[in-house]
Amino acid sequence: MAILFDAFKCTGCRGCQVACKQWNDLEAEITRNTGSYQNPPRLSAKTWLTMRFREIERNGDGLTWAFGRWACMHCAHPACVSACPVKALYKTPEGPVLWDKDRCIGCRYCMIACPFEIPTFEWEKGLFEGARIRKCTFCVDRVGAGLDPACVHTCTTGALRFGDRDELIAQAEARIQSQPERYVQHVYGKEETGGTSLLYISHVPFKELGLPTLGTTPIQERAEDAMFATPWAVIGLVTGLSGVAWLVRRRQEMMRRKGQSSEQGDKETSS
Amino acid sequence: MTSAARPLRRQMPIGTLVLGGLVVLAFVVAMIRYLGGLGAASNLNDNYAWGVWISVDLLCGVALAAGAFTTATAVYIIGQERFRPILRPAILTGFLGYLMVIFALLVDLGHPERIWYLIIFWNPHSVMFEVGWCVMLYTAVLALEFSPMVFERFGLRQPLRLITRATLVLVIAGTVLSTLHQSSLGSLYLIIPDQLDVLWHTSLLPLFFFLSAVAAGPSMVILESSISSRVFKRGLEVDLLGSLAKAIPFVLALYLALKIADLGIAGEFDNVFDGSRNSALFLAEMVGGVILPMVLFALPAIRRNGMTLLLAASLVVGGLIFNRINVGILGFSRPAEAASYVPSWMEFSVTFGIVSAGLIAFGLVARFLPLFTHAEKAGEEGTAQ
Amino acid sequence: MTNDWVDVKNSDCVLVIGANPAENHPASIAWINTARDEQGAKLIVVDPRFTRTAATSDLYCSLRSGTDIVFLGGLINYTLQNRLYNEEYVKYYTNALTLIHPDFKGPVDLDGLFSGYDHETRSYDTTSWQYQTEEQPVTVVKRATSLDDPNCVFAHLKKHYARYTPEVVERICGTPKDKFLQVAELFCATGVPDKTGTIFYAMGQTQHTVGTQNVRSMAMLQLLLGNIGLPGGGVNALRGESNVQGSTDMALLYHDLPGYLGCPTDKHGNLEAYSAKFATTSYWANGPAFFISLMKAWFGDAATKDNDYAYHYVPKVSGDYSWISLFEALYQGTIKGLVCMGQNPAVSGPNARMERKALGNLDWLVVMDLFETETASFWKAPGIAPADIQTEVFLLPAVDAIEKAGSIVTSGRRMQWRPKVAESPGEAMEDIWTLDRLVKALKDVYAGSTEAKDRPILDLVWDYGDPPDVELVAREINGYALEDVKDASGEVLVNKGEAIPGFSTIAKAADPSTTACGNWLYSGYFAPADDGSGVTMPAVKRRGQKDPGEMGFYPYWGFTWPANRRVLYNRASARPDGTPWAENKKVIWWDEEAGKWTGYDVPDFSATKPPDAEADPAGAGLDAHSGTDPFIMKPDGKGWLFAPSGLNDGPFPEHYEPLESPIQNPLSSVQNNPVITVYDTATDEEIGDRVGSADKFPIICTTYRVCEQWQTGSMSRTLPWLAEVQPDMFVEIGKELAEQKGIENGDEVIVTSARGEIRAVALVTPRWRPMNVNGGKVHQIGMVWHFGWQGLATGDIANDLTPHVGDANTRIPEYKAFLVDVRKA
Repeated sequence: MAILFDAFKCTGCRGCQVACKQWNDLEAEITRNTGSYQNPPRLSAKTWLTMRFREIERNGDGLTWAFGRWACMHCAHPACVSACPVKALYKTPEGPVLWDKDRCIGCRYCMIACPFEIPTFEWEKGLFEGARIRKCTFCVDRVGAGLDPACVHTCTTGALRFGDRDELIAQAEARIQSQPERYVQHVYGKEETGGTSLLYISHVPFKELGLPTLGTTPIQERAEDAMFATPWAVIGLVTGLSGVAWLVRRRQEMMRRKGQSSEQGDKETSS
Repeated sequence: MTSAARPLRRQMPIGTLVLGGLVVLAFVVAMIRYLGGLGAASNLNDNYAWGVWISVDLLCGVALAAGAFTTATAVYIIGQERFRPILRPAILTGFLGYLMVIFALLVDLGHPERIWYLIIFWNPHSVMFEVGWCVMLYTAVLALEFSPMVFERFGLRQPLRLITRATLVLVIAGTVLSTLHQSSLGSLYLIIPDQLDVLWHTSLLPLFFFLSAVAAGPSMVILESSISSRVFKRGLEVDLLGSLAKAIPFVLALYLALKIADLGIAGEFDNVFDGSRNSALFLAEMVGGVILPMVLFALPAIRRNGMTLLLAASLVVGGLIFNRINVGILGFSRPAEAASYVPSWMEFSVTFGIVSAGLIAFGLVARFLPLFTHAEKAGEEGTAQ
Repeated sequence: MTNDWVDVKNSDCVLVIGANPAENHPASIAWINTARDEQGAKLIVVDPRFTRTAATSDLYCSLRSGTDIVFLGGLINYTLQNRLYNEEYVKYYTNALTLIHPDFKGPVDLDGLFSGYDHETRSYDTTSWQYQTEEQPVTVVKRATSLDDPNCVFAHLKKHYARYTPEVVERICGTPKDKFLQVAELFCATGVPDKTGTIFYAMGQTQHTVGTQNVRSMAMLQLLLGNIGLPGGGVNALRGESNVQGSTDMALLYHDLPGYLGCPTDKHGNLEAYSAKFATTSYWANGPAFFISLMKAWFGDAATKDNDYAYHYVPKVSGDYSWISLFEALYQGTIKGLVCMGQNPAVSGPNARMERKALGNLDWLVVMDLFETETASFWKAPGIAPADIQTEVFLLPAVDAIEKAGSIVTSGRRMQWRPKVAESPGEAMEDIWTLDRLVKALKDVYAGSTEAKDRPILDLVWDYGDPPDVELVAREINGYALEDVKDASGEVLVNKGEAIPGFSTIAKAADPSTTACGNWLYSGYFAPADDGSGVTMPAVKRRGQKDPGEMGFYPYWGFTWPANRRVLYNRASARPDGTPWAENKKVIWWDEEAGKWTGYDVPDFSATKPPDAEADPAGAGLDAHSGTDPFIMKPDGKGWLFAPSGLNDGPFPEHYEPLESPIQNPLSSVQNNPVITVYDTATDEEIGDRVGSADKFPIICTTYRVCEQWQTGSMSRTLPWLAEVQPDMFVEIGKELAEQKGIENGDEVIVTSARGEIRAVALVTPRWRPMNVNGGKVHQIGMVWHFGWQGLATGDIANDLTPHVGDANTRIPEYKAFLVDVRKA
């Protein structure tokens, strides 16, 4: 399953943001207006979804005010799942990327690995409360009960849609092709980093919405290639080092024997 | 052959007090961290989840402990016996280094009490998993390589004999493990091509991390020897160290060549000189930490003088620390929204405290264990000469 | 609204002017997007600022705040010049052909004024505005036969609007000409029969000294384009509160009675005089009957034929008691006590510093609200010493809308019943309980009195139970039969005690005093009705989902006043011959066989009057209208392009500058609306009715709302999740102006007007641009007005800056255009 976000239809009302907070019982943060409607300014352990506000000026009269959704993309090949050393994060067959809070050791590698900068951490929790990473769960509890995610449910403009990934991709492509003068002709998330469950169509370049420009290969493949090379490296190194050590010892032995024999020879000749 | 410890004189009692104070401070900060969370004891935030404790304590700590495996490889695998006198201190440096890394992790991890979960929960896809296992195993190897000193001190002949027999296996295991995790610390950052500046991010990251560790290992040995010769009023084995340093310029040259080639092939050479902050950092790192020491170490005159050896070695070590900080913190780009990261004094206090604890431990070992005596040559124990 | 929210989906072009639906009515975007997705409709936004609605629009056009009459006038002129009006519609359904008094003169000839202006009284004698009539022998209105007749309304219209050219629009509004023409082309294309355009408006249109004429302009444009009475058309006000529509319907404003009957004034000495004010040749002819029914509801047996149905119990309006005048009186100290229900004047009132000071003159203040608002705590505002305030303040905690049962009315006149779904906290009580206690206490206080002035309190019918049952109130508002209600022929329409099915019962009743109805307009809402699936319940409680015709009318969902009609004036959705204008715009049409109007909506017309019916000039009520007179509430049954009565400031809209403006009115020498009341209390004191001029305050300022906060913020700034998303008072400033002033994004700034000074965070944005107005550069800035000192998210009060002046007709304050200056803090 997947969520389709249409940036043109979004009006930045933050209904989705507040619905997410309410459904997941997340505390509000203390915020300040530092010159933008965007608040909280980024994701955190208490904010699993926030909207980015982007004023984009183009030549002439091309002023746009675009609103970008920032929440877990629930990738098909999640970098965070690949990165987590204890497999606390996992990808479910239905789509959501979830995590086991009883396994997380708080190493925060997933936070580094995620190209979308999604996982966030409970910085204020001490040893006894247990500080773990937190992020959007795709409202897996609602979806499991046949409902749609809280954010989708609240959206009034039709900017958010929930459903089967292939169907939503088809819908998205139909929509952008029917209005080529409005939409960027690309469905973001269809193939990025191997495909994500969050699909975006937009009237402004995706970069402007804060989405990184990514290739189609899953990001972690580079790291995983290194990992798969490991057993070979071990074999190679062990063989190589053992070989060198053996050669060196043989040479030393041979040299010692030569020295001993010459000693002996000396002893023999001297006695 | 007796292995009596040489008499030592404590040279700087004040110094020890300072170190002790730093350790206590680190302990206090660690308590703050445990009670109030990571946010209470650091300026880490969701934009910069890894800070000084990872970039310096972990990355540098591991890299700078490379002296252990490089020296052990030199002695036991390549057969360079002349380096045996500096082997034990190198191993101790390595062992303490890895213990310091583990202490740092115990402070940095969100759930430090779950640090052992790596043993039972496996994710072979994860570089971190490999790093964790290798560090665990290698620390065990180091402990075993360190144990002869203890066994000797307490006259435990049987265990001593067993360990001595196993030395080659341990060294091979240690070298393999070190190669793996020195490089995989670099692989940790493979997964962030768009967040780490192109000047540092490359598929060759693991190789660069490994090479810099190989260069830093001997440099650390030089550093450690220079300091302990002062502190413990021992002579500095300049020719030994000079000999050890011979290999360094080759490693640095290889590093430099690969770096240039890598940037050139990726077409990112322009970024090196584009006047941005990152390019300045990169140039400083390369010039001060690679090119300059490479040139210095190549000069025999430098290698014959203890002071210049120390200078050149410090450049390498400093360059490595700088590199790890660039890769881990400064070379990162995260959205402009919200926090940047400036390490807090508390983070530094933990780092310095852990290092201080290491120094104190080193001093204690030097005083109470046969650190500066030669290890028994393998297969020659009991042979009277 | 003449139409409804859901109906927007039928539109081909949505013009949003003076409103920000994405911000303040987010659910409406669903219907706008349905129109765009399903029939390629376009969304145009005309606003001084690039808003969140503009962000999702097809075309955004800027204009200077306070120049809507010029902009809309430009559209009207464009429509006239390019003959884009629906000629048949205009001829038959509007008063375009009506001949005007020969002495009538307009601003073209009188340099900004209309004929009949008295400079002393600052008011108009409207004799010269009247229609030409002749006696035949009954007075009939004279009409021309062709739109080219030089004396007809249409000719006057063309003459009046000839000045509103695209060049003038550019000069006065600051709107680039090509942008204006884009809007005109797009919207005025809906004049063809198979296309309809709708206009969405809100406070951006009404909160000006020319607010009423702004709305008039929209109505006129829509009449010309033939968009009134059709689906996806209409003039649609986006009401700003969830039940402000209900509050105006139930006449919470001083000058009205429930159902817009109009309060008697001191000029209406008795019931006969009052009844005479209702036009006899429109549906308002039934006004007196509705009034009588209202009196029976209020005073029961005490209202009899002999005592004019207790007419004398009703207070007579003898002056201007609108908000601003009220606070002027408070300031003078002539009012002793104030009950403030769900209202926060300390934050929302214009010239709020003055209004807060005025509150200090009260002997007592009762505030009924969910939170301790700024009004309830005005006596301990920052900078005020409580010891200086002598007012006794009572705070009565009230319950939230979901903690009580009752009905509310949407902007689309749709009434929906809501059950109670949550328990209220602590001592909070429902308004109905509090008011019930209040009335009962008053009755106790005056019990046994023999004075005539106390009789209204004692005779007031008040039997809603203990605790009061809201459904009994609903029953009364709906209306019920006191006796068997019989029509003129003696047939029983409704049995005694039963709910009346609609106001037509009262109209048809031989004796309206056999009915008791609290609001004729609502009548039928609480009567039993079918929800479309065979289940019967009070109409307002229905949630039936059937939608015959699929126009989005949903006739079985709730109840839309009047009489469950979704599209007002829907006679106009059919041609003069009774056939629909277009297949895709069908609402009702004439069924020749059945001899009645049929279709998807309740006909807003005499059900059995054929399209070719002739008017009977001597007839009463709707008999005086022909089969082509859709506007049944007007005496001539026509849509008024020209308004001979009802407005204080002119039969046509004319542009005047806001009270505080940086330029001279380029159109005429009349700077401001000539009939507004400009108060001058304490103009030489620090707090008072001071008016600012452009030399000290060169920047135009406007106020507005954001999605995340609600009105004065008492309910939203107290919620952590909303305080989180919109935490601070801010002002949006354009980049050029900010650079000029050395202000950077996020800086704290101080905004000053002639009336006060506030601090706010500066949001520097490209969405405000300087405008070229009348040859000079003019800057506009804007701010939200949600903030006050209470709650979690606090900030300075924007209304400290706004002027104490209101519209010429409604007196709504001019919050939307005034002058300020801004500097870095």
